[in-house]
Amino acid sequence: MTFAWKQAGLTYNRYLAVAARVVRRSLKEDKRLAAERRGDVDLRFAKWTNGKQGDMQNVADANAAAYVEKANAPSS
Amino acid sequence: MKIVASTKLTRAQRGMTESRKYGETSNEVYASAETKAAEVEGKKKLIIVCSSDKGLCGGIHSGLSRYIRREAVSNPNFDLVILGEKCRSQLSRTNARNIVLNFAGVGKDVPTFADAQAIADQVVQLSGDYSEVEIIYNKFINATSYEPSTIAAFSEETFLASPNYSSFEVEEEVLPNLREYSLANSLFWALSEGHACEISARRNAMDNASKNAGEMINKYQILFNRTRQAVITGELVEIITGATASEDM
Repeated sequence: MTFAWKQAGLTYNRYLAVAARVVRRSLKEDKRLAAERRGDVDLRFAKWTNGKQGDMQNVADANAAAYVEKANAPSS
Repeated sequence: MKIVASTKLTRAQRGMTESRKYGETSNEVYASAETKAAEVEGKKKLIIVCSSDKGLCGGIHSGLSRYIRREAVSNPNFDLVILGEKCRSQLSRTNARNIVLNFAGVGKDVPTFADAQAIADQVVQLSGDYSEVEIIYNKFINATSYEPSTIAAFSEETFLASPNYSSFEVEEEVLPNLREYSLANSLFWALSEGHACEISARRNAMDNASKNAGEMINKYQILFNRTRQAVITGELVEIITGATASEDM
């Protein structure tokens, strides 16, 4: 069993998040505004090496970059 | 401040009860498969600490940090992922070498599932090969008490090795998906429960703060009144003295 989204480099969570976003966007205007706020991610993160903190990065951007990288990698 | 925190608390508690259902249902799979954490020698454990960015809420962050430090003494072979600034600054003093990732911006509002998913995606991308993942959060017991507890998240191998695995009849390719999804579920549960604890602790802290300030206000009120009285008396004395002096003339 192979999934199209898996080949596109998405994780299952990302796949769910995209699906959830589509559902939220198809709601009526008043409900949609409240619902879309639940989908916002405003997290930052930093990698640590040897007890030193690295640069802060935006999680959403880093995740997106990772998907692209995985999609370009030769599928095994 | 107490009233503000109280309204937030009801919202946070509602979020917590809902997310608890998510977490418990997703762990049902592992319970019925009788999955046990595999004791693999030489493999690292990954510990995810769920704190938040804000302080002013009593000892809930340091409770988590203390738990980690205790753990570090008995079993030092682990890596840390820290959610929230508070535990980061506390643990970076003692366990900086164990930290692999830290997240900021957690706990501004009631945690959303999207947050949990984004964190889970980052955690899954970690290069290390971990025998098990433990999520440490504050368990909400009631409005005044909470204690650090753990949720275990299993890797594919441990799930494959669980005694009742065959009864599920799933293909092996979907297991990574299950792992990612259940990690997000558990994270969401831990984040919401931790958030509820934090808000309730903050409510108590604010209540205490108002009470302490009340004592101070009383003290200064009395001081102010006495001084005012003294000033009025002084002025009256001056006026009367002046009046008597001009009458004689």
